[in-house]
Formats: sequence, structure tokens, C-alpha cells
Amino acid sequence: MSGAARVGLTIDGRPVEAAAGASVLKAAEAAGIAIPHFCYHPGLEIEGNCRMCLVEIEGYPKLELSCSTVVREGMIVRTSTDRVRAARKDVLEFLLAEHPLDCPICDKAGECLLQDHYGLHGRYAGRMAEVRERREKKIPIGRGLILDRERCVLCTRCVRFLRQVTRTGELGVFERAVGSELGLAEGRPVDNDYSGNLVDICPVGAITSEDFRFRTRAWFLDRRPSVCPRCARGCAVVVESVTGYPLAAGERRVYRVTAGVNPAVNGHWICDLGREGRREIDEGRLGAVLRKGVREPGLAWPGAVAGIAAAVRSVPAAERPGGVAVVLNARLTSEELALARELFVAGLGLRNVFFAGLKPGRADGLLLTAERMPNGRGVLEAGLSPRPPALEALAAARVLIVFGPYLTEHFEAGALGRALAAVPAKFLVSAHAGPLDRLFDAVLPVTVPAEKAGTYTNIDGLRQGFSRAVEPAPGVVPEGAVLARLARSLGLDIGDADAR
Amino acid sequence: MSFAPSPAALAEIERAIARYPRAAAALLPVLHVIQGESGFISKEAADWVADKLAVDPVRVREALSFYTMFRTAPGGRHTIRVCRNLSCHLAGAEDILGFIVERLGIRPGETTPDGAFTLTAVECLGNCDHAPCLQVDGLDHAPASRGSVAALIEELKGRD
Amino acid sequence: MTEPEALLLPPDDGSWRLADYLRRGGYEAARKALTSMAPADVVSEVRRANLRGRGGAGFPAGVKWGFVPPAGPGPRYLCVNTDEGEPGTFKDRLILRRAPHALIEGLVITAFAVGVPKAFIYVRGEYARTAGRLEAALAEARAAGFIGPRVLGTDFSLDVVVHYGAGAYICGEETALLESLEGRRGLPRVKPPFPAAVGLFRAPTVVNNVETLAAVPGIIRRGADWFVGRGLPKDGGTRLFGVSGAVRRPGVYELPVGTPLRRIIEDHAGGPPEGRRIKAVVPGGLSAPVLRPEEIDLPMDYDSLAGAGSMLGSAGIVVIPDGAPMLDILHLTARFYAHESCGKCAPCRIGTAWMLKIVERLRRSGGRPADLDLILSLGEGIRGRTLCPLGDGAAQSVRAVVTKFREELEQAVAR
Repeated sequence: MSGAARVGLTIDGRPVEAAAGASVLKAAEAAGIAIPHFCYHPGLEIEGNCRMCLVEIEGYPKLELSCSTVVREGMIVRTSTDRVRAARKDVLEFLLAEHPLDCPICDKAGECLLQDHYGLHGRYAGRMAEVRERREKKIPIGRGLILDRERCVLCTRCVRFLRQVTRTGELGVFERAVGSELGLAEGRPVDNDYSGNLVDICPVGAITSEDFRFRTRAWFLDRRPSVCPRCARGCAVVVESVTGYPLAAGERRVYRVTAGVNPAVNGHWICDLGREGRREIDEGRLGAVLRKGVREPGLAWPGAVAGIAAAVRSVPAAERPGGVAVVLNARLTSEELALARELFVAGLGLRNVFFAGLKPGRADGLLLTAERMPNGRGVLEAGLSPRPPALEALAAARVLIVFGPYLTEHFEAGALGRALAAVPAKFLVSAHAGPLDRLFDAVLPVTVPAEKAGTYTNIDGLRQGFSRAVEPAPGVVPEGAVLARLARSLGLDIGDADAR
Repeated sequence: MSFAPSPAALAEIERAIARYPRAAAALLPVLHVIQGESGFISKEAADWVADKLAVDPVRVREALSFYTMFRTAPGGRHTIRVCRNLSCHLAGAEDILGFIVERLGIRPGETTPDGAFTLTAVECLGNCDHAPCLQVDGLDHAPASRGSVAALIEELKGRD
Repeated sequence: MTEPEALLLPPDDGSWRLADYLRRGGYEAARKALTSMAPADVVSEVRRANLRGRGGAGFPAGVKWGFVPPAGPGPRYLCVNTDEGEPGTFKDRLILRRAPHALIEGLVITAFAVGVPKAFIYVRGEYARTAGRLEAALAEARAAGFIGPRVLGTDFSLDVVVHYGAGAYICGEETALLESLEGRRGLPRVKPPFPAAVGLFRAPTVVNNVETLAAVPGIIRRGADWFVGRGLPKDGGTRLFGVSGAVRRPGVYELPVGTPLRRIIEDHAGGPPEGRRIKAVVPGGLSAPVLRPEEIDLPMDYDSLAGAGSMLGSAGIVVIPDGAPMLDILHLTARFYAHESCGKCAPCRIGTAWMLKIVERLRRSGGRPADLDLILSLGEGIRGRTLCPLGDGAAQSVRAVVTKFREELEQAVAR
């Protein structure tokens, strides 16, 4: 990139530099000049059908598409002349002439390009007095997606996505002229693991998700970036939540996880597995310390950590390396893994430090990796060895500290139960409730990745820092805080106590 | 129900595919062959074509609905295309069309109950110097008059 | 009238066959080009002849050929645009019927000039029966060694494929034609890149109209100067002027570019029938803005028509007689574009349908002058904002009818 030739041009009177081969639209965007558009999407091939991004270029008699016109040295572009403004207004008037005015019941309202552009570039007195085209408004097209043909502006982003990205090609445009409409081949619904992106890229409310429809309004959502923890790719995601506690019964906190943009990792897309990650942020969460599987109202997490520390201290220092066993996981951030190494390996000199995790799945050749834990590379970088847990070693421990609910992925329930029964003192640190809870002396509730800050190293070795995207419930802390407090309680000085 | 073209049609299809550097390009010729044989393109035939040309099935559906000459349901044994654009209009195309509508008892886009005729009104057929013009099963009939059309319909009925 | 070599439209009596064509000097130009000229010389000769595209856009053919990059290792194609569908246009049909070998010879010369071994002739589906003669002529040409491997015994080979469309006016637009030829819906592509650089199957491609190619043999055989001398310096040769509508002798007339419109209508086509008068003339297919009777004293060439606010287009002349209600003309015009818009660009897709809805309402229940203003305004909203010229055609043809016959229309809709 850095070696690429640069081109100098003028946009709206400002000198602008752009990479050779870049479009006028991209050059303008980079200079902070937004050019409205519908069909253009940086992750898809140019289509040029919406006609919204027309600009004036000196020397050209007609308005030109800024999405497809390549910058040239000395080019003079104007994006807000009367001609350009008139064209935008006309294009909007056409699009809205055959678009239902159903914003109050449309899920896209608040994040709809048609609304946004109308506010900025439309504002005309309506002249459409003819009968509008009637089309089907609630067509299930597969994977929980609903198509509204009246709202569709035929930008074909969805069609192109399915042809160019997933190469599954389910959607097409049928008929022609004003009768043109999106459709599927009979009996071949949208069926790929990237289907949720269709909702993200639809500039209007033509494709919506059953998981999100009619549940909230876009303007209530707080959108913060994070890194997807559901495989080792480390895709950029946006966690969209409502703020504040407590939630009413059944109310959602995180309404959706959408694709973030990271050219180095995922471009503009995420897989449906990552998108469904919204569930694990909200659902099945532990909200309080459990003792023998039962909620212990009087016990907060510091008290529970004190209990762990006491158990560890009860093992004579010389016997601790074999007597205390720990199971970590690769969802811990690199910072937490470093703390864990300082505490368990360097500090306590434990021999039995294991890693449990989700079983590998299938890589899909696009983004999803076989590895389903996000920070496997971080484990290695922290100087830890990703040894799988050995049941005999766990059973032989006098104190067992387990991070995450993943032992069930490695062992059959009966054998695991018997092994745990043999351990005199055992503690589980987990974000989610699960079948292991009642087998442990105490369970400490901790955050999910979206609720904490840290670093993951993805499958390609890219280190990516991320910040807290959702506020955790009161009393729910990151594993880092547990580790730091435990270290302090054991008299080990391992630096910053606050994992954040 | 599955679809299979006749051996002759299949041979023609294979020849058509061989003419193009990419099989997908043979879509229109292949659909013409199948419609020529079967009278229309069934869903099964469309899927067969998609498979044959290794294109997404939706691509075939797109083409079938974009191009006006393809049918996805059975039509009449004879198709009458009546031109009604400028030159034909000036020569009385609306009258000819109205006459045919009356004679056959169907409107443009419809097929007679006996399955003999499908009537369509089309834009220019490029036969403007013989306006008003129409095509019957692709053959030009021009200039058309009430009398010539009446005779034509009778002749076609007699031929069946 | 004109000499036969440039483009011959002999009587429809079987003289379309190879033997007749050869007797009239057919394929001598191909022999001359392939055996005694370098491809670049062929290109420059045609460029010098100022042969402008006969399809409608009028782009000089030689210049277009010059855009094709020098022969490289990859494939390249020649496409013949025989998707004649512009209302009022029927000249290419006559070439298929009466002079298919002129087209084939032009095709051979052009393919040689741009170094193309494979050509596709895209024929509109409705012409399939008419094109039987083209297919027969191709078989004759193949058997005689004018196409196929080692044309005329040279190293040059040319494979020709006839490809039938299936009912879509838009496929006459060259990039839509390429999309259709590749097996997709006929939607125009974003230009640039132009087909000469990225065309059929992403390879360099030349797309020429039938009549354009049929004019090439004459240029090669008799030279560019001869061709220019038959037309105008900047717009060479003769053209096939189709005349239909209210004239005594509708038909195709091969006349020098620049022949006055009134002369074509009155002298050649015999003028309006007894007792009828000219009310309006569409000079170059439906997309060419209509002219009033007082506007038809002008030479039929690209620049003159453009100067008069219309266009030469396909040179399909339609004479509208007095008594023809202009509201009907407006209706069929609006209907045509609303029906044939491919639907890709928003302004054309929706704008043409909107205009038609208004016109239908006016016919159904009348309206106000403001409705006519809205139609004009919608046209302005389409014009210049679409990928291909269909949108412009819709806007300008509708506009001309409304503005030039406003009084009649206002009376017609005021009920």
C-alpha cells in the first residue's frame, strides 16, 4: 500500500491525495467529503445502478458516477454544485415514489440510507399522485431473513454479496423495468453461514432479521466495537446494546452483533456464528456467586476469591506444584494469560496447568476457522503450553481452579463427575451457568469477552486490542480481576491488579 | 418430476454449448431449444438447464422473467404477436388487436381455452414498412387486415 | 441513385445468394484486405472514410476499432449488433433478407482488421425466422472458404456464431448485448471500461451494427475518398433510411448521408397519401425527438439532426399524419420505455413507469396542464442520470411530444 503511486486532485476546491486507481468516491471519503450512495459498497464490485453518487467532473459534459470513476492527476471534482444537488434530489424522489412510507414500522428506521439521504439531500414537496406498485411485503427467504419487496431499492448489494462473497448465488432480480424485484429460485432459500450480512448491507429495510424485527429501535442502541471471540479469526464486530440495569424479565440487553470493518481481517463481513454470539452475551449468564450450585446472596466475588486463596494456602507450599491444578482457556485475553502465567506458573510453580476449550469445528474457507477459541496464539505468546486437561491429574488435585465451562467438551459427564468428586476443594470461574456449577464448591461469575478490554492474537498472529463493548452486570468482573486479587491474596506481587 | 430433453434436443444443446467459450453463455440458445421442443420452460427444465450450464438456478429464473419470449407455463399451439408501436399504431394496430381479441375471446397475455392460441401485444417487430404487422409462430404476417387475420385464424384452426 | 457495391439491397427475389453476390463483385474487398493489406491499413482506411455507426449512436467505426489494444495472446471478439428494436426501424432486417453476404463480408474484413478469430452475430429473437437467410448465407460463405479456417487461403481464420436474443429492446445497447450474450439479463454495464478494452467475457471486443459492417466492403474496395464522396465529409457514405407511417411508398431507401428529410419523405417515399398532411415526423426511431412539419427541411446527418434538437439515431423515419391524436403518440412512447427499461438505474426504472402512469391517467380521466409539466420534469429527472441512453431516449422523446404539441394535449386532457 505504502509504495503505491499517489494522485493529486481537487475535490470541492480542496487539494486531495488518493491512491492511483482509487475511485472519486473513495478519495472524497478519505478527505472527509461524504458522497451519498446506495448501491456502492466497499466490499462489493461496482454496479452503478442507484445513481445517487453522481458528481461533476471538469471536462465531462454529464454528471459522472463517483463510485466507478477512477481518480486522475489534476482532476477537478465538485460534489455539491446545484447540478449535483438537483440530481440527488431527483434520484431520491424516484426512489421514494415507489417506496412505502412505512418508516414508523420499519426496522431500518434510524439507520436507513434512504431516510438519511432524504434528510440531507431530498426535502422536496411530494408529487407522486399515481397508484404505486404493490409487492409482497413479508417473504421468508431463509435463515430467519424477511424480504420486503416494496421497500427494496434494487441496489443489488445482497445479490452481489451472494455472488461475489459467499458464491452461493441464492438471490436474483426477476422481471424488468418497474416490475423488477428480488427473488429466489423455487426451493432454494438463502442458506449460507454468512446470511446475516445481508441485513447489515441492505441500505433500506428490505431485508430484515427475524431475530431483530420489531424488538427495538435502532436509535436506542449503543454501538461499540469489539473482537469476535467465537473462532480464531478475530473479526471486528459491533456489539449493539441498550444501556442500563436492571433489565425487565426477558428483556434483551444486546440486541445484535453486527459486522465491524477490519480490512486486515474480515473486511466487512462476519459469519452467522459470530453474529449469534449476541446470545452468549445475554443468555445463560451467571449473575452471582454460587456455592454448590446455589446462589449465595451474601457472598460477593472478593469473598469467593478469598475462599480460593484459603484453599490454596491450606496446601503446604512444597506440595502446591502437584497439589493445585488449574484449567485455563484460550478465551482469556493475552493480559489475563500473562497474569495467569505469573500467578500459577512463575508464582506458585504449578505443574498441572491445562487448557480446556471448545472442540474444533470445520473451517469454511472464508472467515470461520476450525479453531473455535479466539486466543490460541495468545496462549503461546504468553509462554504457556496449551496442554489438554488430564483427568487423573485433575482427580489427584487437592485444589482445582477451573476457568470456563469447557471441561464438558473434553470428558464424558460421568467420568468428569467422579474425578471432580475426588477433589477436596474446587472452584469454577465462568461467565455462564452450566452443568458443572453444582459440582464445584463455588462458582464465580465473570465477564464475556464483549464485556472486557484486552488483546487477542488471531490465527494469523495479528494482535488486536479491544475495549469493553457492553457494561457487565454489577458483581460480574473480568477473569483478570479474579486472577489479580487471587495473586494479591496469596502475597504475590504480579503488578497491576486491575486487569483493565 | 425431473426433466430430460429429447436426444435430438440434447444434441442441439451440446452443439450450442460448444459454440461458446463458457457454458453459461449458451443460456439463451439452450432455453430456445427447450422451449422449441416443449413449448415452455418448466421449473424442472429450468433446474436442468442450471445444472447443465453450471449456473446458479436463480440465474435461469432471472433470464426467464427478463426476456419476454420465454414462457414458464404452457401456451397455445400458436402464438400471435401483435405489434402496436408507432408505425403499426398509425396503420391501425389497435383495431387489428381488438379484432383478434374479439375473435379469440382472450386478451393479450392469455391463451384460448382450447389451447390453440396465445395472444401477445408487443412493441416494435421491425416490419414498419408493412404495418400493421404481426407474427404467427415467429413468421411475419404483414400488412395485416381484419380480413387477412380472420383468414389466418381459420387456416391455423384448420391445420390443427 | 447509388452504386451497388457499398451496400446492395437488390429486389427480394433470391439475389441474396452467394452466386449473385459474387457476380456483383462480392468478397473482392475481403480478398483485397486479407491478401494485400495490413490490418492497421484497413482500420485507417475505414477511419478516413468517416463511417459512423449506423446503430444510433453514430460513433466513427474506424476510431472504435482503433481502441482495441494491439493483438495479444488472449481472446478478443467481434459482435454484430442485430438487435434492431427501435420503433420505426427495419433496415437491418432488410440486410438480413436481401444482402446477408454484404454483412458477412464486412464481418470478415472487420475481424481481420482488429485481429479477431471469433465473431458473434446477436440477432433479436423476433428475427429468428427472418435470419434463416443469414444462416444459409453463412453456410454458403463457410463452404466457399470466406469464413472458417484459413479464410481465402490465408492464415486468418474466423468462426462465426449466430446468437438469438429473446425479447428485450435494451440488448441493442452494446454492453447490455454483451451481458445477454454471456447468458445474463441484458443490463448495461458501467463504462468505462469500454468494450474495446473489457468486453465479451472480459476480453477486448468490438460491437458494430449490421449496416455499419455491411458498408465496410465498399470502403475497402473503392477507397475512403469514394465513400466520403457519397455522403458528407464528417459523416461518410450512404445510409438506409427506413420510411414508414403515413407515406405512399413505405420502405428502405439507400441515400447519401445528408439527403434532406423532406426529400426522403416526399420524393422517395411519395409523401403522405391523398388528402393527408404531415403532422409530425420522427426522424430516427422513436427515441429521436419528433419534428414538426416546418422543421423537416434539414439534411439527414448526425450533426444536423443534433442541431435541430433531435437525432439521426437509426434513421428510421416515421411520418405521423394529421388526425393522429398526439395523446396516443405520447402514450405509446411512454409505454415503450416503461416496458423496455431494463430496471437497473433507479431514475429510468421508476421515472419511465411514473410518466406512463400519468399518461394513462390522462387518457382515462383527463387532467390538468400541471400534469404535463410534471411529465416534463420527470423526464428532466431521468435525462443524463442513467447508465445507458434508454433513459435519455425516453426523456427526450416524451419531452418533444409534450412541448411541440402542448396545445393539443392540453385540450385533450381537459375534460
